[in-house]
Amino acid sequence: MIQVDANKCLGCFACSNICPNQFITREEEEGKRRTIRWSKCKEECDICVEFCPAKALTLIPYSDSTPEVIEVSFDLVPCEVCKKGFATEPLLKRIRETVPSNLQTDSTGRSWVEICPFCRRELEAEMASKQVVQSRRK
Amino acid sequence: MMRVYVDINRCIGCRSCEVACKRVHGGKGHVNVHISEDRASVPLFCHHCEEAACTMACYSGALTKDGERTSFSLDKCTGCGLCRLACPFGVVWTDKLAHKCDLCAPNETPTCVLTCPAQALSNDYELALKRARARAGRATILGGKR
Repeated sequence: MIQVDANKCLGCFACSNICPNQFITREEEEGKRRTIRWSKCKEECDICVEFCPAKALTLIPYSDSTPEVIEVSFDLVPCEVCKKGFATEPLLKRIRETVPSNLQTDSTGRSWVEICPFCRRELEAEMASKQVVQSRRK
Repeated sequence: MMRVYVDINRCIGCRSCEVACKRVHGGKGHVNVHISEDRASVPLFCHHCEEAACTMACYSGALTKDGERTSFSLDKCTGCGLCRLACPFGVVWTDKLAHKCDLCAPNETPTCVLTCPAQALSNDYELALKRARARAGRATILGGKR
């Protein structure tokens, strides 16, 4: 049976992707909220425990008194540019911790961590084509 | 294995690189062409950064530096999505599992470079350099006009 430490869970997709029995499911309200559900499982398998990036999962002996489903929900952090939710706060925190701080800003000094991947591409395209666009405006 | 250089002046926004990339990667493309004000277009894909943030965020060892290339091995990926959030340019995708530009390894020349009809993509550093110098020269002669 899986035990979840909700304080450690990043709200990522690893365990739900990797579970061979679909005991772990996720639901996403596009741009708003993400919910992960761990069903009570009797399997002798610890793949999810092994692959959890946050070590938030542990296996405990099966018991009838515990709830059928454990649920953890996250509000998605809105992108600084388009304001649509794109990632959970623990995931972004993890990025801030693992990527050296000098790499967390672009050439103009702007931090990109709080910008969604879609807007990061838009900004990159805008920056890269600025000169060409200007020369063709005339 | 060489990096791909983009000449934005030459890009015609036809998206051939997008299509070619999808074709050789089982329907999952890693190039994204952006149009700026209907005046210019830019194909966006992995920069193969020297200090690649995606490899630092990846905890399972799926993303690693392999010489100049930032390489990805599908069998180690858990699809957590950390790399997607760690890429400053938004060019690592997660579609259940992650996927990104692999420079078409082990081929010598990436398919997008072979396909581009406008020769906006190349993996020849000398050519990219020569073009940039020629453009700067022309700009000087024409008094700043390109």
